[in-house]
Amino acid sequence: MSAPLLELRRITKSYAGVHALRGVDFDLQPGEVHALLGENGAGKSTLIRVVTGAHQPDRGSIAIEGKRVTNLTPSAAQQLGVACIYQQPALFPDLTVAENIALRLEPSTGLRLVHWSARRERARNLLARIGASISPETEVRALSMPEQQLVEIACALGAGARIVIMDEPTASLTQKEQHLLFAVVRDLRASGVGVIYISHRLDEIFTLADRVTVLRDGESVGTSLVGDINEAGLIRMMVGREVTQIYPPAETEPGEVVLALKGIGSSACPVHDVTFDVRAGEVFGLAGLVGAGRTELARILFGLTPADRGEILLNGRPVILHSPQEAVAHGIAYVPEDRRRHGVVLEMPIAQNMSMAVHRRIFPGTWLRFGTERRHALDFIRDLAVKAYGPDAPGGSLSGGNQQKVSLARWLATKPKLLILDEPTQGVDVGAKSEIHKIVRRLAKQGLAVLLISSDLPEVLGMSDRIGIMRGGTIAAVLPGKADAQEVMALALGTAK
Amino acid sequence: MRTASTNSAWKSAVFSHEGILFLVLVAEWVFFYHFGTTVNRHDVVVGFGTIDRQFDILRHSCEIGLLALALTPIILTAGIDLSVGSLLGLCAILFGMLWHDAGLSIPVAAAGALVVGALGGGLNALLITWLRLPPLIVTLGTYSLFRGLAEAITRGAVTYTDFPASFLFLGQERWYGLPTQAWIFLAVAALVGLLVHRTTYGRSFRAIGFSPEGARYAGLPVGRRLALVYLIAGVVSALAALIYTSRLGQAKADAGTGYELFAITAVVLGGTSIFGGVGSVTGTLLGVAAIAVLKNGLACLPVVMRMNGAEELSGMLTGALLLLALTGSVLPKYLSNWRASHHSARPQTPT
Repeated sequence: MSAPLLELRRITKSYAGVHALRGVDFDLQPGEVHALLGENGAGKSTLIRVVTGAHQPDRGSIAIEGKRVTNLTPSAAQQLGVACIYQQPALFPDLTVAENIALRLEPSTGLRLVHWSARRERARNLLARIGASISPETEVRALSMPEQQLVEIACALGAGARIVIMDEPTASLTQKEQHLLFAVVRDLRASGVGVIYISHRLDEIFTLADRVTVLRDGESVGTSLVGDINEAGLIRMMVGREVTQIYPPAETEPGEVVLALKGIGSSACPVHDVTFDVRAGEVFGLAGLVGAGRTELARILFGLTPADRGEILLNGRPVILHSPQEAVAHGIAYVPEDRRRHGVVLEMPIAQNMSMAVHRRIFPGTWLRFGTERRHALDFIRDLAVKAYGPDAPGGSLSGGNQQKVSLARWLATKPKLLILDEPTQGVDVGAKSEIHKIVRRLAKQGLAVLLISSDLPEVLGMSDRIGIMRGGTIAAVLPGKADAQEVMALALGTAK
Repeated sequence: MRTASTNSAWKSAVFSHEGILFLVLVAEWVFFYHFGTTVNRHDVVVGFGTIDRQFDILRHSCEIGLLALALTPIILTAGIDLSVGSLLGLCAILFGMLWHDAGLSIPVAAAGALVVGALGGGLNALLITWLRLPPLIVTLGTYSLFRGLAEAITRGAVTYTDFPASFLFLGQERWYGLPTQAWIFLAVAALVGLLVHRTTYGRSFRAIGFSPEGARYAGLPVGRRLALVYLIAGVVSALAALIYTSRLGQAKADAGTGYELFAITAVVLGGTSIFGGVGSVTGTLLGVAAIAVLKNGLACLPVVMRMNGAEELSGMLTGALLLLALTGSVLPKYLSNWRASHHSARPQTPT
């Protein structure tokens, strides 16, 4: 066998102490489609960033066509023949196909004359090579999503790419468009190019790939020939990990229904026909893949994207949630997914962050009371064990887990009836993660209804009394808490019978 | 241990933006005290340090000062209002019209002008919060609109004069020792200071300035708070229009032309970040004072008087001062970034 196009050895990468990749091995042969599979957060994106030179691995080696490379930068990776086709093509919509290709391929230094005919000719040749019938004169704006992806692939070929990475290329394609793309991928393979193919759709992997590697928790679970494995085997590889975390047990019987959704949907986001309820003292988990509509549903409940279909009942009474203020007034609290942008104001002290949702209660008459605010903050710092040098520490100076606690403190201060937690432990170190789990359990015990959105499957399974699985903007199924991981994953992927 | 901490407290007070600006202000004043001369109304040459001169500076800086105070909360929210100077002109004209042409009494006409100011600020607020248009573009539009209206109403020719002495008292006389309008200026400064530093409103302005999305996710009424700051700016512009009219004894369509730029300069010079979130009313007051002393002091430097270029020179120096202040505010960050990158460079090299 000739030298592999790409060979990764023991790649390790961590962000702020959290391991994203631990000693991952991966290789790609010429003329091969190698699928990369894993849950959200398993490390696929990090691996891609390492290969494209966007991020440097902490440890491990990268060899391209048998030659070891160090300090890979995006431009160096490009020169070595690495190209990445993203879900959303990054083309200039107002320029023509030929111009877009020229922008990628022509050096941008110096002042030169433009050879329009040569540009068109090259674009035509590249497009012909992948069998695309797109005129180089067309403005990119007028192209469909798959056609834009084809232009991206043409750019990659033009740049002499030997390693082509495709990140969920079919996510927004129709059946017919998928077949067109598959044909191109097969052509690439036939011409000796290696393709790293990332997808959540198992059927695609079986149709297209030669080998498949499964990542889980930043580690490579294994690589297998596609012919040697079936769907159930892949799902088992994706979820079947040892229990590394003990989840605090549920101790209370759920009480009254706090939140009831009846056919909720919004035309501003893909959420439709969502029906379920959450009881007091219950942790209701929401599982699903990225883009399944879980955060969008949370935004509806918090009044950020108001629902325009269906009914929301809080404690049995129908409510209209048109703004966060209305949601807060009804006792809904939302700890958002993106804590750096939405969860805490990084520049403001944590005391001010913690009082932000309860201005009216701790500052009656609108006058600030610095002493009250400080005591309020100190109480939460103690209660939630926030590690910071004091109430005056800016939110941005804290670690991810502690920022999350500040965000949580802000919302617990409102004494909510329904607490929505959106990926509460994403990017949080193991210690803070289990602390957050304990806090959530304690809150449920106190009678709070908790809606827990998480892409961390063991977390949802371990923490939830019931689990709703979302797929394509709606609830695919509701399972009891101790559900089977493989069943949940199959429902989220849509492969369940 | 104790000396070290008091030492650093003293240091942080002096090296705060306000501390540096205060030193600049003192330096300006001392410079002009030494080199500036002027002629009083009895044709006697007197120095820059007279109390009359100080009051004169105060009197002349009240209108720009009021606009700067109105702009402070706006810039704290990372917004901007370019229309305050034009609104000042429109309010001055409408005040003159209401009094002279409609025959209303001065207090009623003044109330009318304040209502017009509120409507003008309300228009900005409406466009910015309802239609979510960027403040820079909205107020650039109303900047032309308000000035255009003022000129259309007067056809560029009418000037209202002959206001009663009771009204001129506001802009030309003294009350309890200070120029009358200075009392209004100080009162507004105190009110804006309380609003910005001591109420939940000010807290919201900062949160919005740092992170509008973050403020929304925290359940703060972002739209209403933004509407409030632009509305306040409208009313304060109207107040500045009354003082302007009284000080000059006339209302013209070009009243307050270019004031918005001086006011923005004063606010930014005072340490309020144009990116929002950071700033203080004390800083704004110092910024107004630094510009006023510079402008006034230059006019009494003999060399400048001979060249007859006080206006141009003060414009240039104000601009230079502003750029210097901006540079000074980002320099520590760049320095620490530079140091950090140099210190971390060594361990990063592969072994």
